Parts: sequence; C-alpha cells; structure tokens
Amino acid sequence: MNLQNLSIKGKLMLITMLTSSAALVLSSASFLIYDLISFRHLLTLDLMSQAQIIGYNSAAAMAFRDEAAATATLSALTAKEDIVAAVLYSPDGTIFAHYFPNGSAHPSTLPGRSQENGYRFEGGYLEVFRDVTLNGERVGTLFLQSDQRQWSVRARRYSAIVGIFVLISGLFALLVSSQLQRLISRPILHLENAMRMVSTNKNYEVRATRFYSDEIGRLIDGFNTMLSEIQHRDTALQRANDELKTRTRELEGEIIHRKQTQEELLKAKHAAEDASRAKSAFLANMSHELRTPLNAIIGYSEMLEEETRDSGKVENQQDLRKIQSAGKHLLSLINDVLDLSKIEAGKMGLHLETFDVSLMVDEMVTTLQPAIAKNANEVRVRMADDVGMMRADATKVRQILFNLMSNACKFTDHGTISLDVSQSAMEGQECIRFRVKDTGIGISAKQQEKLFQEFSQADATISRKYGGTGLGLAISHRFVQMMKGRISVESKPGQGSTFTVYLPAQVTLDTVEAAQLDGAGGTQAASSQHKSELDTVLVIDDDPAVRDLMSRFLSKLGFRAIAAADGDEGLRLAREVSPLVITLDVIMPECDGWEVLRKLKSDPRLAQIPVIMVTVVDNQAMGFDLGASNYLIKPVDRDRLAVLIEKHRTARSSSVTEANVHSRPAAKKEERQPVEAEVSRRS
Amino acid sequence: MMPKILLIEDNEMNRDMLSRRLQRRGYRVVTAQDGEQGHLLARSESPDLILMDISLPAMDGWELTRRLKASDSTRHIPIIVLTAHALVTDRAKAFEAGCDDYDTKPIEFERLSEKIESLLAEKKPS
Repeated sequence: MNLQNLSIKGKLMLITMLTSSAALVLSSASFLIYDLISFRHLLTLDLMSQAQIIGYNSAAAMAFRDEAAATATLSALTAKEDIVAAVLYSPDGTIFAHYFPNGSAHPSTLPGRSQENGYRFEGGYLEVFRDVTLNGERVGTLFLQSDQRQWSVRARRYSAIVGIFVLISGLFALLVSSQLQRLISRPILHLENAMRMVSTNKNYEVRATRFYSDEIGRLIDGFNTMLSEIQHRDTALQRANDELKTRTRELEGEIIHRKQTQEELLKAKHAAEDASRAKSAFLANMSHELRTPLNAIIGYSEMLEEETRDSGKVENQQDLRKIQSAGKHLLSLINDVLDLSKIEAGKMGLHLETFDVSLMVDEMVTTLQPAIAKNANEVRVRMADDVGMMRADATKVRQILFNLMSNACKFTDHGTISLDVSQSAMEGQECIRFRVKDTGIGISAKQQEKLFQEFSQADATISRKYGGTGLGLAISHRFVQMMKGRISVESKPGQGSTFTVYLPAQVTLDTVEAAQLDGAGGTQAASSQHKSELDTVLVIDDDPAVRDLMSRFLSKLGFRAIAAADGDEGLRLAREVSPLVITLDVIMPECDGWEVLRKLKSDPRLAQIPVIMVTVVDNQAMGFDLGASNYLIKPVDRDRLAVLIEKHRTARSSSVTEANVHSRPAAKKEERQPVEAEVSRRS
Repeated sequence: MMPKILLIEDNEMNRDMLSRRLQRRGYRVVTAQDGEQGHLLARSESPDLILMDISLPAMDGWELTRRLKASDSTRHIPIIVLTAHALVTDRAKAFEAGCDDYDTKPIEFERLSEKIESLLAEKKPS
C-alpha cells in the first residue's frame, strides 16, 4: 500500500510507532554496544592477568625445562571454560608445553612461533602472548587463546532482551498512539464526513462540530462560515429562481391572454372583412341590378328620341330628353356609389398608361361643355409648355379633373373657371400640378374640414339646390391617394375656391397593394388562366425534412412545388422553370442563402422573381438589403407563408393582366381610350 | 349588303332595344338568348360581328368566346363583350379570353356603334 495514501489515523500511528521504535532501538543498541565493548575489555584484562599468573607459575618449570610441571601448571586452566588453547614456547620459538581442553585444537591453528607481548583478535578468538621471565630473564613465551564464550553468550542474551523490550514497548506505543491519534484524526474525520454530506446531499445546513481550539478547530470554524455563506447565497438564489418562475408563469399567462385577444381580434377582423366583402358584393350586384333596367330606360328613350326626331314630332322630344337626363343622372349616382364601394372594398385597381396630358385635358373640357354653358361660365385652360406625357391611370385623372371642374361650374354663376397645368415637384419627385380656380360661392373653413369625406356636401341645402351625391370630391381624393398624389383646397366664402392636385408624373404600381386593390373576383379567374405558368414555387433548402414539408404544404395550397437541396441546383431550377416565388434557406453548405439571393438578384432573368427567406437566421436587414421580398423565421408560420405566396400570385396575375392590356396593338389601345371620356361626356 | 350582327343577350328588354337600334342603323341583326343558342347561330349564320353579354345562361360569355376563338370557322368573327361589372380585371379578362373589344353597360350607343364600325372596318381589308 502506498504510504502516502494511508489514512490520517494510519499515518499518525505509523509515525508514532516508527519514531518511538527507532529511538528505542538506537538507544538500546548504543547501550548494548557499549556494554559489549567494555565487557570484552574486561575479559581481555582478565585473560592477560591470567597469563601473567600462569607465566609466573610456569617460569621455574621453563627455566629448568621441566615439561611435566609446565603442563601441570597449564592444566590449572581447566577451570576457565573459555580457554581453548594454552601454549608455552621456548625462547627459540618452539612449543615447550601445551594445553588443549577438549583436544580439539589443531597445531595448525596455533601461531607457528612466539610473538611480541600483547593481545589480538584473530578469527573470532582473543589471543594473548606473554613473556615468561625469571629474575628478569626471558625464559619463554606463553600463548593463551580464548573463544570469548562468555562475551558471545552475553551478547546473545542482551540482544534477546533488547528485542523483547523493543517489541513490548512497540506494542505499548501502538496502544498509546492508537488512542492519542484520535486527538488529531477525529476532528479531521468529522470534518471530512461533514463535507461529504454537503457535497452528496447538497445540504448546506450541515455544520461540523469544533472539538478543540487548535488549527483544526479554526479550520472547522472556517468551514462552517463558508457553509453558512453558501447556504445564504443558495437561499437567495433559490428565492430569485422562484421569483423568476412565478414571473415566467405570469408572462406565459399574459402571452396566452394576448394570443387569445389576438385571435379574437383576428376573428373580428375576418368578420369585418367578410362583412365588407359582402357589402361590396351586394353593392356590385345591386348596381348591376339597377343598371339593367336603367340600360333599358336610357336606351329606349334615346331610341324614341331618334325616332321622334326623324318623324318630326318635336313636342315629345323635350320630355324624352328629360327622361334621358334623369336616367343618366341616376346612372352617375349609381356609378359614384359603386366607385366608392369598390375603393372601400379595395377592389379599385390602378390601370396605368402613358398619355398626353394636354389631349386628356382638351377632351375633358369638351365633355364639360354642357356644364360650362349651364351657368354661363367662362373656362380658361393654361397649359405650361413643359407638360408633356404622364404615366398614370388616365381614366381616374380625367375623372378627378372632371369632378373638380364640374363642381366649379356648378357652384359658379357667370364667372370664370381656370385650369392651370404645370410641371412641379413634390418631395423630390417630378409631378404634374393641376389647379382649378373658380370665382364661385366659396367654401367656409369649417366646410373645408369635411370636404373630402364621403356624403358630406358642405350644406344639406346645397344638395337640394345644386344636386349631386357629395361623393365626387371623396372619390377624387381617394383616386389622388391611390396614385400617391396630393389634393388641397384654398377658399373663402364668397371669394371662390382653388383646388390643387399634385400627381406624380410617373405613377408606380405598388405590386402588393395593386394586387389587393385588384380584388379577389377577377384575379382568381385570371390566376387560374395562368395556372400552368404561375403556380410553381421553388423551395431551396438543404434539409430534406424541410423540403418535404414545404412541398406537401405548397401542394395542399395548390402550387406545384419543386425543391433544390443546394444553391447551385436552386439557381439552375430557377432559370429552368422561372417559378412564381422562391423560398430560400440561409444556412446551407457551400453556397449559402445570401450568396444565392445575390446571384438571383443579379441575374436579369431571375431578378423579378420574389424571394421569401425562410431561415433560422435573424437578419432581416441583410435579407432586404440583398433584395428579398419577405423574411420568415423558422419555424415557419404556414398561414403567413400561404398569405405571402398568395399575394405574390395575385401580384403577378395583375401585372400579367396589365402587361396583356398594354401589349395590345397601339391602334386598339387608342380606340379604347375614349371609352371613359365618353361616359363622362354623356353623364 | 349591310353587315350582319349576332346579338347574344339574355335580358329581353336590352335585347329588343339593342337589336332595334342596330337595325335602325341599318345592320342586319340575329339574336340569341343564351350562350348555347349563340354558339349555334354563330356557326350557322356566319355573322360579321358578335355582340354578347358576358353573364349568359347555359354558357357564359367567357366560355363562348373561348370556343368561338378556338374554332377555325368562327375565329375570324370579331367579338364585343358587354359587361355590367366595370372592373379593370374584367377588361383584362375580356382580352385574355380573346374578345376583340369590350364595353360596359349601360350601353352608350354612340360609343358602341363607333366600336362596331371600327371593328368592321378593320375586318374588311383582310
């Protein structure tokens, strides 16, 4: 086991044990060594003194070469168990006498000859040489060899004692340390336990108990402080979280509520639209129903008038003319009401053509002659030289001027009515300005406020005196608005009135608006006419699921859907089929949606195809900058998509319709142009 | 011989009035009350011009125009449609369907006769 990973408890015990054992072993060993060294010294001294005694005792025997006496003296050593050899050498070095207690000593282990006085340790034996002297004369040398039996016995015994002692004291240390280590390990283990509880149960209410005022005690204090801080913050966080949840629920409720309101509003809007459609359908129907008998009345009276004229019955002619005139007045009223209802139902479309302004004005003035003559007025037309052609809805421009001029004639007696036409500018745009000025009864400031509203003739008495529906100005006003122009009036009672109309010299068709204005009735049929070329929608999306869903959805709406998985394929298909609308994703591999859009818009053959961005990328500005028509963010609101595509369909049908009309040969167009003018002339 | 006009109109008064006024101008007039009858007469009478109301019973004016313009025997006959709905789209529709001209009701007889004259004049040289 790795020592470092030992538990605190184990480490503490190990440290105590090792320390105490090492100290004990070291001290015991030093004591033992000292004892053994001094004991050996003692033994050496003892052996040397013995050698002295035996030397002394055997000196005479050596001197007299009495070998037996010498051997006997040596034999006295039997009492000494540790002596394993005793030898007396003659002065010449040869062995004179010897003693081997067990007869075990071999002559070869003995030194060959005597040596200097002294002792030495040789091969585990202690050997002593000592000169034997008699009266100061050296008579031989004594050699004693001891196996130090006592010493080794003592060493063994002492070692055993020390060993046992170390063992016992070790066990004791273990016992003591296992108790004492708790002083340190217990608080740490407790702390650890507390921490584990906190981390596993996320329970920040747990507190560690402080046992002592030592470092660990302070650590536990710190831990507890930290815990309470965390707990505090956790509670605050929880509270904030709860508040957020409550707020979210409230918001969700709010959203649901708003959605409901929105749905209700939408329903109300649809209901209103339905009602409006029903109203205009009713009016259109009614006007048809009214026109049919009027047609007969006017037709028969005209026919009768011709016949009476031919047969010379002059007396009936006046009455027939009155019938005609009343019929035509009724017709103009019906036309006005129908016009207004068409405008209100959004069914009045702009029919743009380029025409000569002065020709149109001349025509209009000719039509106006009966009204001019009626009150003996004088009409002056001033046409600026720089006024040439303009592009607008000629019928409506004519109707506006006719309305203003006939009003001027109606409310002026023996006066002058002037029409000024000139080039002008409005908000930086080139405009034609028409100014109709009369010297008639004028209009008060209060009356002017309501002037352009429906059914608001300046005074109820006026309609009795002058006739009319009071719709003329309202219709003119709407027409001017449709062509993005402006109409205004300046007048004072008794001082005449001046009406000024500004119309752009080049009226443009707002495609979507035009589509809406053009109305459902005509366009539906028109679109079915062009179905085969119009109803293809190209879906460019790299996601097969999206392609599939969109295709199915579009088929359900009655479109032919074709899909491309990437930009290049999309561009190729767009060129091939020239679809009605392209829906385009942004995030695609290789060629992204922006790039595709850029390419689509830079190709003159494709640039006019409306592109609806269908993407998760929220960057409408980018989309519109690059020329996208609409921008939908995924997940796609299908109803919205349907509405958009439908709008593009109607826009395209109406533009096709317009194109068709204008693509007719010029000769025929001219034939058709006077149509409305003549309506006016005769009404 | 004066040109022959086929007048297809379901309203009796209008039919009577228009046919009498056209006759007063010297035209020969054949009348039909509905689209099917008009279709038959257009082929059997080979008129010089057809004047038709757009909302006809049996077969409406759009359909009749398409059929007449699809057939070799009747394609050359100029058609003027008359409609009570003075919508821009109706005018466009009329030309799409193949009509040669278009007029709104109530009829301005002078205007209508000008259209008739010009279509007949256009037809003659060819």
